[in-house]
Amino acid sequence: MIRLALDMLRADRAKFFAMILAVALSVFLMQNQAAILSSIMTMTGSQIRDVPAAGLWVMEPDTECFDQAKPVRDTALYRVRGTDGVDWAVPLLKVDAFARSENGKLTLAVILGVDDSSLVGLPPRVILGDAAAIRERDTCLIDPGGYSLLFPKEPYVLGKRIRVADTFLRIVGISDASPPFTGFPIIHATRSTAIPLNRGEGRNQTFILGQLKPGADAAAVCTSIESTTGLKARTAAQFTVDSQNFYASQGVPMLFYIVIGIGLVVGAAITGQTFLMFVKENERHLSLMKVVGVTTPQMAGMLFCQAGLVVALGSCFGTGLATLTTSLSRTQPFLRGIYIPTYVAIATCTALAVVTAAAVLLALRNVQKLEPASVFRG
Amino acid sequence: MRCHDIHKSFGTGEAKVDVLRGIDFTAAMGGMTFLVGPSGCGKTTLISVIAGLLEATSGRVELFGTEVAALSSRDRILFRRKNLGFVFQQYNLLPSLSAAENAAVPLLAAGMPRKAALDKASQVLDRLGLGSRTKALPKILSGGQQQRVALARALVHEPRLVICDEPTAALDAESGHSVMELLSRTAVHPDRAVIVVSHDNRVFHFADRLAYMNDGSITKTEMQTAWSA
Repeated sequence: MIRLALDMLRADRAKFFAMILAVALSVFLMQNQAAILSSIMTMTGSQIRDVPAAGLWVMEPDTECFDQAKPVRDTALYRVRGTDGVDWAVPLLKVDAFARSENGKLTLAVILGVDDSSLVGLPPRVILGDAAAIRERDTCLIDPGGYSLLFPKEPYVLGKRIRVADTFLRIVGISDASPPFTGFPIIHATRSTAIPLNRGEGRNQTFILGQLKPGADAAAVCTSIESTTGLKARTAAQFTVDSQNFYASQGVPMLFYIVIGIGLVVGAAITGQTFLMFVKENERHLSLMKVVGVTTPQMAGMLFCQAGLVVALGSCFGTGLATLTTSLSRTQPFLRGIYIPTYVAIATCTALAVVTAAAVLLALRNVQKLEPASVFRG
Repeated sequence: MRCHDIHKSFGTGEAKVDVLRGIDFTAAMGGMTFLVGPSGCGKTTLISVIAGLLEATSGRVELFGTEVAALSSRDRILFRRKNLGFVFQQYNLLPSLSAAENAAVPLLAAGMPRKAALDKASQVLDRLGLGSRTKALPKILSGGQQQRVALARALVHEPRLVICDEPTAALDAESGHSVMELLSRTAVHPDRAVIVVSHDNRVFHFADRLAYMNDGSITKTEMQTAWSA
């Protein structure tokens, strides 16, 4: 009976393809928007995740996320180091400044001044060059997005210079820094290189990065740091969540939720309506089946198989299209962080399957109401 | 097959219409019983009640010792699947299925494996002269051929009662005659009753027994010997 059901479905090609297209477009729309939302929310913690060595992040109490951080008093570093349970602590300076390339390109950039001796604060990998080369004065690493912004369409070449404030920084490496939420170039230098670029409040550290001693309780150590320094201490995971929550509270996700919702509603409406029409137009045939002995569960099985095929094919096409557009996006340096998380793919396809199942149940209710004796009418 | 004092009404109050008014009717095994009468006299309603597709307002239908109305909805479908075959005026073939698939629907519904069901359906189609058209879709078959596919569907599961509703109404005289010949040759069986609803008097001579209906009642019945003499 399943094969018969699928044959019946495929026979009406126009409706068959209309339903597949509706599911595919809906899945595409939802996956695309959900992927962008998920990716940019992930990006809010990019620079925190880029320093896996640091389990503790200490900051001013007013700091709510990585991108909007207030500088910390220089003396706080020693108090953090002196706290029980802290294995080590180093400063990280974050400077927001304009960077200009030799060919005149200008952009706001995030300069991260890492500890001169340990270089804690650098991303784990460099694409080109040597990370340790930044120990040389007035040198830096730059991320691929920043490089492409300052040197459009130019291949990676080390030795190029960028001007930040009144200082020329020589690029000694291309880092694999994760794409930031803000989309600004991420420039890593030593703190001693970065301090002259800082036109802030005279404070030369934005965060204190640390690590717990083996066996130390993170919550207790954070509480201890906060009580002794008056600063805010968070584990890396907590700070990542804080950053995400900060942006989430700014209304960024709402626009995406609206588009995702529209995708679901449009998909549900078109798929459901087309499926119901398909069942309506086949009422006579379904009545006939009832007459010749097809039971309601068999009929339900047939309808669910028809819907299942539509959802499966539509989801495949929709996911394929979303993957294709995401892959194309990732060829752009600033969009390289966009990807479709597995849970997004599963959730969107499941949502459409649920909606279609609801349409099937609705159609089934109509089928149950069918008057089998109607087949005798000419 | 016995019907006793069947009444069937539609609507209520002033809109109430009595379509069947105390029908007593039997169809014997091994022969074709024709239900004849003018349009609107209640023939189709009666066969719908006999088949368990409509519930009688009152009265009793007994098929092979089973009172169909007493069965649950599901059991009624299963009973129909096993014991009844149908031929319709408009053939009612599924347009997306081949002739063999259409004929095999009752077997597939009963859970027979696809290959076995198609093989059996092909054999029946072969007996009906459609052995070479088993893979043809209904749209490329003539009216007479489509009705033969419908006949194959009615007979493939070897039912004990075959109900035909105006099987020749949509066919020209030659095709109609041909279908009736096939029906009498293949459907009539000692273990099977065949009821044919028709107002096409050109085919009445195929009947073993004629039941005349008018205005919701059976006005008279005749055996073949009586009316063909």
